[in-house]
Amino acid sequence: MVQNDTVSPRLTIRILIVDDSSLVRLYYRNILERAGFEVEQAINGIEAIERVQAQAFNLVVVDVNMPKMDGFSFLRALRRSAPSVATLPALVITTESSQHDLDDARSAGANFYLVKPVSEADLLRHAAILTGRQNERIA
Amino acid sequence: MAGLEAEQIRPTQLTQEEVRRVCEFLYRRTGMVFADSRRYYIDRRVAERIAATQSDSFRSYFSVLRSDANHEIEHLVNAFTINETYFNREEHQLRCMTSSLLDNIVGVRDRREAIRIWSIPCSTGEEPYSIAMWLMEHWSEVDSYNIEIVASDIDTRALKAGAQGIYSERALMRLSQNVISRYFEPLPDSRYQIHPGLIDSVQFTRANLIDSRDMARYRGFDIIFCRNVLIYFDDSSRRIAAENLYDCLRPGGYICLGHSETMSRISSLFRVCSFSEAIIYQRPEADHGAK
Repeated sequence: MVQNDTVSPRLTIRILIVDDSSLVRLYYRNILERAGFEVEQAINGIEAIERVQAQAFNLVVVDVNMPKMDGFSFLRALRRSAPSVATLPALVITTESSQHDLDDARSAGANFYLVKPVSEADLLRHAAILTGRQNERIA
Repeated sequence: MAGLEAEQIRPTQLTQEEVRRVCEFLYRRTGMVFADSRRYYIDRRVAERIAATQSDSFRSYFSVLRSDANHEIEHLVNAFTINETYFNREEHQLRCMTSSLLDNIVGVRDRREAIRIWSIPCSTGEEPYSIAMWLMEHWSEVDSYNIEIVASDIDTRALKAGAQGIYSERALMRLSQNVISRYFEPLPDSRYQIHPGLIDSVQFTRANLIDSRDMARYRGFDIIFCRNVLIYFDDSSRRIAAENLYDCLRPGGYICLGHSETMSRISSLFRVCSFSEAIIYQRPEADHGAK
């Protein structure tokens, strides 16, 4: 579990949640905002690409299964973007847990991969590590 | 000015026959039964509509109604429906949904298939939004499934208000401060605006419980909340509504009624399920549509 006191109050850490379900976006947003992160949302990969190009983020949390542009296509587009955007850490969230899916996530450019249902503790821990809020390595 | 308006819509004294005609008309359209004991309520609603349509008598109003000029049937139905409710009403059923019903549903479900929940009648949205908030607060698998929440009512004014999502403090009386701060924004007039993410999570549609053709548009629900409406119906309308709702459920799907309502007295189609939190009715798993 991530402790709130590990955050510098002056430092804003901005996370983009990308999921086509408004209920799921709201669910993740609540968890992350309660822990002090600032959260923005996009409903698919196309909108997410526009958002990361227009505004600076510290992390993108992206669902794999989305209409229009899915999570993997978004990640490949992200990694081909201008250098300032291409290195944005990405936490991929999916319902599948096979080795094949894990390999797909890695090759698309995911920094880490969580399988649904994602617990509050897991989401906060990985968000903290990937944004540098918590000095720990992910195994 | 407000006083003058109140004066203009003061209940006109309808005759017994006029009341009978309006009640008969409403019954045929909606299944709702209005007893003589609610005479003042009936007079007042009809007087409102006579004033709104600028009719000079009951007789001229009734011909406007029968010809459905300017959607008068919808306006009359809207005037007669009752929309008093609040968030987390009959919370034990919401608890039953996340502690038992959903586990039973997802146990035999492919994760890619949507879970469909229906709130009918949804009034001004308190119930479907309560369901959405309850799922986010109390169901750890909320992110694992595509959850569709459909909210239907016969009253189009109520549906519009639901989609706007603005509520009085009274409607929020059962919610904790944490939940209020997470999902509502206070407005300057002491009302509250619900979070736009919740509005996006609920699909509002018009539906009439006793109209089989209307109800045929709704199929494959896993859980239906149909609370405190069947009490306004007579036996025959209740049976029609129950059969329609049965067809809207998936085999194995559940229906929650209001605390004073009992499906067993209405229809034998459903199985009674006694959970520790609530009594819920189920469309039997083995039955694939035969009635």
